[in-house]
Amino acid sequence: MLGRALRRHSEPVPADFTERMLRQARELDEQRIVSRVIWQGRLALAGTILVGIAAIVGIVALPGRIGAILRSVGTGFTDRGGALIDRFPQAVGAVRNEWQLYAVLAVLLGFAVYCLLDLLVGDRVKMA
Amino acid sequence: MVGDKWEQHGEDNRLRLLCSGDHEAFSWFVDKYKETVFLCCRRLGLREDEVEDVASETFMAAYKGLGRYSGRSELSTWLWSIAYRKGIDCLRRNRRERQLEDEQENEIAAGREDGPTVVTEGKETEQVVWEAVERLPRLWRVAVVLHYREEKAIADIAKIMDTRENTVKTYLFRGRQKLREMLSGALGEDCNAGK
Repeated sequence: MLGRALRRHSEPVPADFTERMLRQARELDEQRIVSRVIWQGRLALAGTILVGIAAIVGIVALPGRIGAILRSVGTGFTDRGGALIDRFPQAVGAVRNEWQLYAVLAVLLGFAVYCLLDLLVGDRVKMA
Repeated sequence: MVGDKWEQHGEDNRLRLLCSGDHEAFSWFVDKYKETVFLCCRRLGLREDEVEDVASETFMAAYKGLGRYSGRSELSTWLWSIAYRKGIDCLRRNRRERQLEDEQENEIAAGREDGPTVVTEGKETEQVVWEAVERLPRLWRVAVVLHYREEKAIADIAKIMDTRENTVKTYLFRGRQKLREMLSGALGEDCNAGK
């Protein structure tokens, strides 16, 4: 008797409850996508910075070997690019000068650090 | 209607789509179990404004966790355990506020608390029984509803309420006893006529 009586009871539920849950589920999915994109951006940036740091450390620690590698890459491009690189002899020459390479890498690193700080604490600084 | 369409899908197919985050499947899921979740929240004695919040939290937690649902227990048992946990959390959060309310309510209800239920003319038997169940202490009430309305096994109830099976048996035994006392005047012999 108890079971039968209890099973006949129906519980009142707000009419639009399912629609509201569905809307919340969609919002949750959107938030997930946005946070995934943000994390991908952060990871990409962190990767760029690490590569930049590794390049600078490599150049500072092993200037001769890295220089040789870069020169061989440059030569490879020159050989393969042929006519294209021949149009920019001055640019190729500049890349081959190591101090200019350091300068370019330092600027890139500075920019990357600025971007990373902006992503991580930028909002807090702006809000303050 | 979404519900009709989804009832035609096989159980496995529905579950697979649900776990993969399909919105139509989730809509079917909410439609099917919303009454169960509201039932759980109200039987825990949450206030009406809290009931809706906890029900929403329960479904959102289920939506997030569906990918991890292993299928070891029934979907309704799994959902009950989430709703029960969220409801208890809500009760704990608002304990102090609730104590004051309960004190006031107890003062008002002091006279009628343990008296037998009176059948007023025209009142259906199930309504009388339901009102008696509502007057049981919180945990006995949840155990009785889970066992007699939702037809859950003792082991499942123990899992939902995060307690031992013997404790559930005690809740059910005491709940039945109390109901028998409350309903003896109202329904006479009928209340001893089994479950």
